[in-house]
Amino acid sequence: MTSSLIFQFPLGWQVGLPMVVLLAAFAVWRQRRRGISRPRIALLAALRVAALLVLVFLAARPIWFTREPPAAANRPVILLVDRSESMSLEEQGRSRYDQTLLFLRERLLPALKFAHFPVQAFLFDQGVESADGPKLAAAIPKGKRTNLAGAIAQSFSAASQPPLAVVALTDGIVNESDDNARALTELVAAHVPFIGVGFGTDQGVRTLSLRDLEAPAVVPTKTAFRIAAMIEMMNSDELPAFEVVLFRDGQVLQKKTVSAGKGSRTWLESFQVTEEKQGLRNYTVQLLPPQIPSLKCVNLLANTAVHVSDEKELRVLYIQGSLTWDYKFINLALHNDQTIKITGLTRTSKQSVFRQNVESAGELLNGFPTTLEELAPFRVVVLSNLRPADLTPAQQDVLARFCGEMGGGVLMIGGPATFDASWQSSRLEQLLPVVFSANSGVLGLDRPFHLQLTEDALQHPVFQIAEGQAPRETWAALPTFTQYGRVDAAKPGAQVWALHQSDEGPRGRRILMASQRYGAGLSAVITIQNFWRWRLARDAEPQQFDRFWRQLFRFLSEVGRQDVSVHLADQDLRPQMDVQVLIEKQPNPKNLTDTNRKYFVRAEDSEKKVLQEESVELETLHPVNFKFHAEKPGIYTVTVLDINKVPIATKPIEVRDINVEFQNTGRDMETLRQWAAISDGLAVKVEDCPDAGDLVAQIKSKIEQIRLGKQTRRPVGVNAWVLTWVVACLGAEWLLRKAWEVDIQ
Amino acid sequence: MTNPLFLASNNFLPGPHPRPWPALAVIKRLLCLVLLLVAPLAPAATGAGSDDKQATFFMGRVRYSSNDGNDCGSVGEQLMRLVSRASTIKIQEERRVKLTDAELFETPFLFMNGHNDFVFTEAEMANLRKFFGHGGFFFSSGCCTNPNFPKAWRREFSRLFPNEKVKPIPYDHVIYRSFYTIDRIRCLNEPRDIQLEGLFHEGNLVAVMCEDGLCCAFSADNTCNEGKGVSPEDGQKLALNIAIYALTH
Repeated sequence: MTSSLIFQFPLGWQVGLPMVVLLAAFAVWRQRRRGISRPRIALLAALRVAALLVLVFLAARPIWFTREPPAAANRPVILLVDRSESMSLEEQGRSRYDQTLLFLRERLLPALKFAHFPVQAFLFDQGVESADGPKLAAAIPKGKRTNLAGAIAQSFSAASQPPLAVVALTDGIVNESDDNARALTELVAAHVPFIGVGFGTDQGVRTLSLRDLEAPAVVPTKTAFRIAAMIEMMNSDELPAFEVVLFRDGQVLQKKTVSAGKGSRTWLESFQVTEEKQGLRNYTVQLLPPQIPSLKCVNLLANTAVHVSDEKELRVLYIQGSLTWDYKFINLALHNDQTIKITGLTRTSKQSVFRQNVESAGELLNGFPTTLEELAPFRVVVLSNLRPADLTPAQQDVLARFCGEMGGGVLMIGGPATFDASWQSSRLEQLLPVVFSANSGVLGLDRPFHLQLTEDALQHPVFQIAEGQAPRETWAALPTFTQYGRVDAAKPGAQVWALHQSDEGPRGRRILMASQRYGAGLSAVITIQNFWRWRLARDAEPQQFDRFWRQLFRFLSEVGRQDVSVHLADQDLRPQMDVQVLIEKQPNPKNLTDTNRKYFVRAEDSEKKVLQEESVELETLHPVNFKFHAEKPGIYTVTVLDINKVPIATKPIEVRDINVEFQNTGRDMETLRQWAAISDGLAVKVEDCPDAGDLVAQIKSKIEQIRLGKQTRRPVGVNAWVLTWVVACLGAEWLLRKAWEVDIQ
Repeated sequence: MTNPLFLASNNFLPGPHPRPWPALAVIKRLLCLVLLLVAPLAPAATGAGSDDKQATFFMGRVRYSSNDGNDCGSVGEQLMRLVSRASTIKIQEERRVKLTDAELFETPFLFMNGHNDFVFTEAEMANLRKFFGHGGFFFSSGCCTNPNFPKAWRREFSRLFPNEKVKPIPYDHVIYRSFYTIDRIRCLNEPRDIQLEGLFHEGNLVAVMCEDGLCCAFSADNTCNEGKGVSPEDGQKLALNIAIYALTH
């Protein structure tokens, strides 16, 4: 680095310096005439001259000029040549790579040589390696991925000193970005310009790809469902007919022919499938593309798994002390929803029950379940018109365990006869969200009343029952009801959904609807007698009633369903990679008291071979990483098991062998422009520089700016120290003259 | 004709049931038989005819056209008595409703019978359409096998919804098994089976009619229709099945 001091106003010192000398001489002469001793004269003159010299120096506007040393003559220009598979695409009779070699050999290298720039060449795809002329000529572009940033960073590491410039010859199709930050830092820190020369056409070439495969996760037996393959064709003038094959568990199931088509398009090819037996089925769709040399296939295979099961998504057990119209109208509400099935269990006399919609002749044969196993097929239990005598303490305990431990939903619905003081202190009352009233008798409760939703309910998804209308308005339009069961208050932690319009209880208005979490599940109450009146009312919208019940049952059934969730980390899945998943324990009351933190995570391939199994400790909302190696394309399954090795969560993960190099085949100049903009470089299309001399001139200009080095200019002397010095000198001189009584009047 | 879904056991208080002594079992069975015979003569044990507003099974006796709802006058009471035999359900007394009354939409179960031809007005038709759309149920019976009422019923109910006409309800329909399992009902005076007819709206059975004096059979022991149509035994089972079906579907 070289530095020097220059004056922006040299006249300042050229005039000022003689004046200082004259002034000093005049002052000495005067003081000698007054008979002052020589030492005193010398001291006073020195102080005055020192101050004046500084002022003269500042008047000349001094500047401190520094220049970084010019780049060393042996700093090279790095040449990065893309050899990824997208460079093999043929356009205008030549592959992109051949076009690159031609440009390099005939135009760029001679021009760089003429400009006396040493060149260091590298070939890159997902990796990078040094290359000389023969190696460049012999290279075959077949890299499966492109990591331009990695190539930049590694070429810096390979050189002993920063290069003059990085010149990349590529189509700009980049599909790795892990090294972006590192490469960017290197370029900016070393002031190295990135020069990108884009090869290929912006449109790209003709490609065919199986983009996605869609199928329902669960289907019933003997019911037709569709498996749809999303196919994408790009830049095709005319693609002849070709076949698509559907495999089930490795065996050909169906085959269909896709008719010829033109232009870029994305469409669905569907297979209709019906399964006779329950179980897990793996389906694979494969494209058999036409034999056209110029057609590039991105992906030809995709898999999906379908669980064939006759089990309905959601079963509701509706238990009644006697038949009620509510049961009928709720049944009607679910009539068109195939995913919710309601099973009725009604006491018809003291010694008999009436079963409806049971799955088998033996189901609920002994009446209300006495074991958790009997309740396990159901997700929600509704209790209506029941008295404590209808359920033994043991049956109430089973119900509490169903809700608290199995995450089931419990709803109690009815009026004065249901919400009766006799339930007080029962096991059932413990799990419900309200405190039962101690007062017996329900006289005077037959005045018509409206229910009023709370703010919590208005925001709750269960109560959104009309499109395009505010819930407050929708619910205000409900008909009046006439009877309701009186409860005293909501329990701590309960969410009150609806209140009586006016009737005040000991702790505010009477509760008509409420819910609360109970263990892993949820309990709720509707204390309105004859809630069905809503659906039958003249001005009612039956579909709103239906939607409310469907949403309520889904809500009650889904709470606490999943203790642990399995998420796929944000990554681009491909074979031969470590797949990363996040295992997270979900927050729910069950977890708060659950001391067990130990779980097992297992990864299996499509042949059920265990690839990885390890124990993990899970805490609520603290995700844990789990990795497994996916060697081949296919469906992998991650399963979380509890301490007893019972599966509690599972996630299928498909790893596809997609040729990402052909996903988008058009040249990507935008990527090159971004790299150039950040490093003060240049990005050009190869066809825009027919004369390599112009390109090299531009490259040379960028490089020259670097070679000249960086200059800095900084004013000198204008600071507090200098001013202090001047004031100190003049002040000292004045004080001495005063002390010695010189020139002081 | 017992229903496999109907379980005569102490199901809400389950557990091992010790086999009773044979002699005790015989006495119990005799007592049950006596009770069964006496039961239809006794007033409903669970509040039939009461005006308890918490009661569930209330029905509307329809007053339509020129009919004031008085044919087979005890039919409502008898129907509720039947239901009370099969259930712990509390029963309200019947209401008299016109098809144009606002009260229609508070009455989920309507009963209609008669001897004669009738025609619904446009207002009655409009209300009935809404009533069925909202989930209401309609039970009808021709009195004394008079053909005029069933003929009018078919015509008028077939006018309600386009493309939804009254049709016979086959014996495999759940209404024949909703409480008792009924394989077939023989006509007393003709060599044929008696079949219910119904109107289906959006896949739901919303209205049922029996032309063969069903109301006479279950409410008047066929005294007004002796030797014709449905037998009293079959009539009681059929009427109860219809009521239970309406309460559960």
